Amino acid sequence: MKFLLSIILIALLSAGAEFILPWWSCAVVCFLVALFAKQGGGKAFLMGFLSVGIFWLVAALMRDIPNEHILSSRMAALFKLPNYWMFIIVTVFIGGLVGGLSAWVGATLRPKTPNTSR
Amino acid sequence: MKIPIKGYVLLVITTILIYLLDHPLGALPAIGRLLDPVNGCLANAEPVNKDFTADLKLPAVKGGATVWFDNRLVPHIHATNDHDLYFMEGYIHASFRLWQMDMETRAAAGRVSEVVGDKALAFDRKQRYKGMGYAAENSLRAMEADPRTKLVMDAYTEGINAYIATLNYRNYPFEYKLMGFAPEPYTNLKISLLLKYMADDLTGSTDDIALTYLRDILPKDELELLFPDRIQGSKPVIPEGTVFDKPSLTIPSAPADSVAFPHFAPADFGEPKVDGKGSNNWILSGSRTASGAPILCNDPHLALNLPSLWYEAQLQAPGINVYGASLPGTPGVVIGFNDSLTWGFTNNYRDVKDFYLIKEVEGNKNKYWFAGKQVYYTKRVEVIKVKGKPDIVDTINYTLHGPVTYAEQNAKAGGLRKPLAMCWMGHRASNEMLAIYLLNKAGSYNEFVNAILHFECPAQNMGYADRQGNIAIWGQGQFVNKWKDQGKYVMNGSDSATLWKELIPMRENPHALNPAQGYLCGANQINTDTTYPYNYNGAGWVNLRSWRINNLLKDRQKATVKDMMEMQQDTYSELAAGTLTCFLKKVDSLLSPEERKYADILKGWDYRLSSESEAASIFQIWWYFFNKDAYVLRFYKVPGQFLPLQERTMQLLQSDELLRFIDPPRSEKVTLNDILNPPVWIFKMPKRSLVEAIDSVTKLKSIIGAEWYKVKNTTISHLTKLPALSYDHIKIGGWGNTINAAKENHGPSWRMVVQMGKEIEAYGVYPGGQSGNPGSKYYASFLDDWAGGKYYRLDFMPNSASQNDSLIKYTWTIR
Repeated sequence: MKFLLSIILIALLSAGAEFILPWWSCAVVCFLVALFAKQGGGKAFLMGFLSVGIFWLVAALMRDIPNEHILSSRMAALFKLPNYWMFIIVTVFIGGLVGGLSAWVGATLRPKTPNTSR
Repeated sequence: MKIPIKGYVLLVITTILIYLLDHPLGALPAIGRLLDPVNGCLANAEPVNKDFTADLKLPAVKGGATVWFDNRLVPHIHATNDHDLYFMEGYIHASFRLWQMDMETRAAAGRVSEVVGDKALAFDRKQRYKGMGYAAENSLRAMEADPRTKLVMDAYTEGINAYIATLNYRNYPFEYKLMGFAPEPYTNLKISLLLKYMADDLTGSTDDIALTYLRDILPKDELELLFPDRIQGSKPVIPEGTVFDKPSLTIPSAPADSVAFPHFAPADFGEPKVDGKGSNNWILSGSRTASGAPILCNDPHLALNLPSLWYEAQLQAPGINVYGASLPGTPGVVIGFNDSLTWGFTNNYRDVKDFYLIKEVEGNKNKYWFAGKQVYYTKRVEVIKVKGKPDIVDTINYTLHGPVTYAEQNAKAGGLRKPLAMCWMGHRASNEMLAIYLLNKAGSYNEFVNAILHFECPAQNMGYADRQGNIAIWGQGQFVNKWKDQGKYVMNGSDSATLWKELIPMRENPHALNPAQGYLCGANQINTDTTYPYNYNGAGWVNLRSWRINNLLKDRQKATVKDMMEMQQDTYSELAAGTLTCFLKKVDSLLSPEERKYADILKGWDYRLSSESEAASIFQIWWYFFNKDAYVLRFYKVPGQFLPLQERTMQLLQSDELLRFIDPPRSEKVTLNDILNPPVWIFKMPKRSLVEAIDSVTKLKSIIGAEWYKVKNTTISHLTKLPALSYDHIKIGGWGNTINAAKENHGPSWRMVVQMGKEIEAYGVYPGGQSGNPGSKYYASFLDDWAGGKYYRLDFMPNSASQNDSLIKYTWTIR
């Protein structure tokens, strides 16, 4: 439940941050949330990956579907990808990777107090 | 409190990854920034049903304005004064075409390296050495000195900048994100640069250097046979028999040949060649149309790119109501019509760019010889900023003729390895903006003439028709009163006899008003018959299209706009008709059964370069090899492989005079016997070209197919040349030798047919779309209709603050 809430929290905060800050602000959000959420590195990575991945996926689809894939198809061609959804997948993967790694960093940089390292 | 080392390692890796994703890597853009779906490229994915309706607060628009967008996203701008009108035109051009305006003005100024790095350096230097910045600054002074154009330009630039001020990274045009740079403020200088870019494009090609070479290697009679000043049978733009005014200036006599022209050795030359730009413009008087109203047809042939050079717009304010093709980056409408009249442009090709051989003062880099004296160069320092590299500083020497174009890269790129100064009409201060401004408002023939008198360079054949039933054409531009052949060859730059002197008063430019023949046709052919009093030479005249147009119009009665649209799609090749019969007869007895099969295809052909024709492919490929075989051994060293005009080669083939130029194949030696008897290889040569063509067509068939549109591959290329943003293998017929002159990347850039009756009936189409955004459905929305020969009825709204028009889809209200 906490895991799910963290994902929603990061996705919402990232969306808010990206509207006013550069794209990598989502990485900072993941880092900060992971810094305070008490969980292991692997789980943090999954959390970051899923939250930014889902956020980017939703944001991409919100742009791409009303556009009827005009731009995503061109981007796919530009990067020699077979079709537009491969372009969306690559987008989501890159967003997810950045989110996952940042969260992982947050989790590992969390000061280990005796309580949590139990 | 312990932080494991792993944490720091991860932190470093993650930071590096984010850093890399945020910065361009080599040719790759900054991937993270680009892919971010909030601010990156997907922010440019425009919903296909986007509602463009808007209420805009633009305090600079004092009188308020309304913009109606029709179903093709063509803006119809209504303002209450000139300032607001041109402000809004600038604002709208920027809204839909900002990146293109930025790139084109950068290209004009030689500032592309600044955003793409040193791969554009050679291009930038070429622009600088041509004096593009110098030319634009000169004209800017003239344009800003006139209060009318000053107001128009200031308002237009202000409008563009008002739009730029609304941008942040998220709503930058797509290409800025792709290329990783940001919009910069627009300036009046950029308007001037863009006009000079067009001038350079249309007066850029020059045969002076090649002709200088040929003049020295060919006997005089051969030179005249191959490169005549006037092709036999040419039909001039100003109809034969037009009576010209007596010249107000004395025609100068030519200086002695030895004074006028230098001589070069073949070793002084390098290589290439640019193909000319052509256009069609014909006008029918009411006596030849079904409706009794005159019809003007224009299709300027220019580079076909996305976003398109043209942007359709209607401009309304008190005293102006004009519709047509505007050039994003400059105010006004360039080709179009208004309440009273319509006009079109084709390139005039009178030579306005000459070259002078500069005699340097030995041992002194600052001086050159002129009229027996040593003269200092004027130095102009050009600083080229290069992305990721230190600035390049070039000092360019200006002589009294113009800039010395010779530079290291010029020697490689083409022509003469000697210092040549370029004297170009485009370098002079002129105010074409005023011509466009007045032309847009003109209400009568006299006002039309008064407007175009300000149009100095690039010289254009300006077609005209009005609702009173007048038709006219002017060979318009600023020209020099030259002695015969002045500027046809490279001239001696150290003698005053070769200088450009008096300017011909522009009212004396050749023109025709309501000619007896009832129609006029300008298709880049020679301007006048021999009775025009002033000397002039051409820089790219061609005849094939003008012959075809004249053939179609001379007996034409009761023409309709529909007929005229069909005529703009005409792909009948005068060249094929004029060469094939004669050629096939010559080779008939030499053909093998397999070759005969192909010969029969050509015999049964209707000479139309239609999109699916295989015969058209065979013909065009054969013609290429035929020219190559006929001339290449003799002429391969000519700068730019400058060959005789195709129509001239056709005439020489018909008259058998071509045979004397045909060299033996390398494998054969010319023997005494060959000279005494008709040499065998002469008759084999033409056949060889057919064999080569058959060979190529067979190969093409197995790869892409032999249909003509596949072979020629007309491509509408995005300005970045990225295939993902371009369209290739457009299904369209034609070539440079047919009216529908769709070549690889040149062709009819704006087709327009306007009937000036009681009601104005106007049609147009261009290969692109109103939006420059590759993520918009309006990006290339006209392309298929353009290729298919379809037109849109241009929705010319009455000059009024409110409209009742069913085609209006979105409205902008500006307060």
